[in-house]
Amino acid sequence: MQREVGSLPLAPGLRARLAAAGFQTAQELLETGPCGLSKEIGISKEEALEALQLVRQECHGDAARTAGGLGTTRKFTALELLEEEQAQGFIITFCSALDNMLGGGVQLTKITEICGAPGVGKTQLCMQLAVDVQIPECFGGVAGEAVFIDTEGSFMVDRVVDIAAACVHHCQLIAEAQQEEDHLKALETFSLESILSHIYYFRCRDYIELLAQVYLLPEFLSEHSKVRLVVIDGIAFPFRHDFEDLSLRTRLLNGLAQQLIIIANDHKAAVVLTNQMTTRIGQSQSTLVPALGESWGHAATVRLIFHWDNSQRLATLYKSPSQKEATIPYHITPHGFRDVQPPAVTPNAEGTEMNPRKRPRREEEKQ
Amino acid sequence: MDWDQFDLNPRTVAALKKADIKSIKEILNFSEADLQRLMKLSSADIQCLLKTVSRTLRKNSMLTALQLYQDKDHLTSQHQKLSLGCSVLDNLLKGGIPLVGITELAGESSAGKTQISLQLCLCVQYPYKYGGLESGAVYICTEDAFPSKRLQQLIDQQQKLRADVPAEIIQKIKFGNSIFVEHAADLDTFHKCITKRLSLLLARGMVRLVVIDSIAALFRCEFGVSESVMKARYLQTFGAQLHSLSTRFRTPIMCINQVWHQNCCLFYNKWLEVGNRVAPALGMTWANQLLMRLMASRIPWPGQASGVAPHCTGSVRTLRVVFAPHLPPSFCYYTIQSEGVKGIK
Repeated sequence: MQREVGSLPLAPGLRARLAAAGFQTAQELLETGPCGLSKEIGISKEEALEALQLVRQECHGDAARTAGGLGTTRKFTALELLEEEQAQGFIITFCSALDNMLGGGVQLTKITEICGAPGVGKTQLCMQLAVDVQIPECFGGVAGEAVFIDTEGSFMVDRVVDIAAACVHHCQLIAEAQQEEDHLKALETFSLESILSHIYYFRCRDYIELLAQVYLLPEFLSEHSKVRLVVIDGIAFPFRHDFEDLSLRTRLLNGLAQQLIIIANDHKAAVVLTNQMTTRIGQSQSTLVPALGESWGHAATVRLIFHWDNSQRLATLYKSPSQKEATIPYHITPHGFRDVQPPAVTPNAEGTEMNPRKRPRREEEKQ
Repeated sequence: MDWDQFDLNPRTVAALKKADIKSIKEILNFSEADLQRLMKLSSADIQCLLKTVSRTLRKNSMLTALQLYQDKDHLTSQHQKLSLGCSVLDNLLKGGIPLVGITELAGESSAGKTQISLQLCLCVQYPYKYGGLESGAVYICTEDAFPSKRLQQLIDQQQKLRADVPAEIIQKIKFGNSIFVEHAADLDTFHKCITKRLSLLLARGMVRLVVIDSIAALFRCEFGVSESVMKARYLQTFGAQLHSLSTRFRTPIMCINQVWHQNCCLFYNKWLEVGNRVAPALGMTWANQLLMRLMASRIPWPGQASGVAPHCTGSVRTLRVVFAPHLPPSFCYYTIQSEGVKGIK
């Protein structure tokens, strides 16, 4: 982007005019745009456009050569893929039963869908993940930032504050217990304000705004390269009314799913979607199934269904490429998403939400 | 739509005009491949078009959670809520009713739902400082007549209920003038009421609260089991329209709902919350539209809960939070006095 105008493969006459007008880098050219450019150097709009396309291609080619990834196809062996996947981060949820069921937590580069009846805890888990993605690496987190796209208006910032405060407190307890340099250093920047300032919130009021926002996401994620989580809460709400033509809806949802898969892969981010439940009336009885139809079921890699059993909340892993189907209980406490039984209490810990599986990476490093 | 004002390639603008595309919505409804075929442009041009129109639609739409948290402006802040006029009830709800979204109040008959709604219609008229929104209310009746005598009684005794507000402020408010009563006994009238009357009142800033008493009554007689798809569609449409009005005008919508008894439910479902003998009416379709669900119930007199002061007049009732994104499931007791609904500590 900082390439000198003189080194770009443009016609010499054009280069001379650009230099005379004061353009020095490719970035400046691209920022001016075709209309401005044609005015400034006195060429037609078509010529200005052609020139800018050339410049863009050059810069894109540069980026591809240095990054060696984006836009070019590469070959991998299955072993390389396995190693890459094992090195992939997980976003922990603070509910160890759920993390174990998922194989470590919510996986980066995959789409995870959470379905459930209203009030069962889908938005709570999303808020928990938006906080947990920011946990520093020395505490077992991925040290990322979060994008939260809200279509229902259920993102209550006071609740996020409670969850974030509990998370910071949890890390402080670990730091006190372990007394290590990097923990204390990480805690200096891991505070309530920093957590809140790295959750990027977008409110979309209908499906058009949602589609537009997803078109803009790749650019946003390139600018904010530390984002490791994109939450869309909920994906069903804007698509479940207003659609006389269901085939249009299916097509739009498929397009959305494709874009999200690309975003998850290119930017090494986890995409988490929440979905509603709807009643399917069968022969003799009715069952609750995830909304948005059968074809939407293929969009997510991992599907979780949250439901009730009397007054106990349960999470069922309904679809996963690598983990076994299972059901685990969970709790929603004032501090956020947690396990049901208080886990084994370590000597210097207080409170009942200390997670026994505290920092998996740490243990692996020690070995 | 004037495509010339967008920062687009003139080739793209010409193609848009030729393909007779008139709005951003039309563009986004097409897939990239369809747009390429329709406008005969290259993939790069289409990408650029999509990004440009998306940017126009979504400029300045990002906020960080920190900005949301620090926003204290009463016109935009999430901390702003509509008080219920009683500190005990407000504590249960951590401030009151949220301003954006549909709140449901379900319960058996004579549990106190209408009483709470009438009280809200008065509370909304108080200044921001006292938990109100300085505006009026719309009360949409779908079955019974509007209880105007009771409203007058409540208005006369406002000073007694709101001891925290100075007398001169209460005297200045003309409570009766700012409550607009609408009647809508069937679906079409209701639909007209929401789309025309309600939008008008909200756009003029005359009301900042909508009460629908009750949403269940609209769906009682008209739908049999075989018409459940039709009923679901109506519920989703109404829900979406109310939600959209609530978001646009930052106005809470309070929907009163009735309850079904478990043995009357045709479908038993292990995914639902079981353990109550009654469940709110209208099922999952309606529940999906809600931000918050509250349940009002009467405690049977002999089994009265301990800790309740025996000298309270009127029977004791419970207000329970069934679900809300910012509240734990909790409840509190309240009574209905002549001056209104009061929580019991």
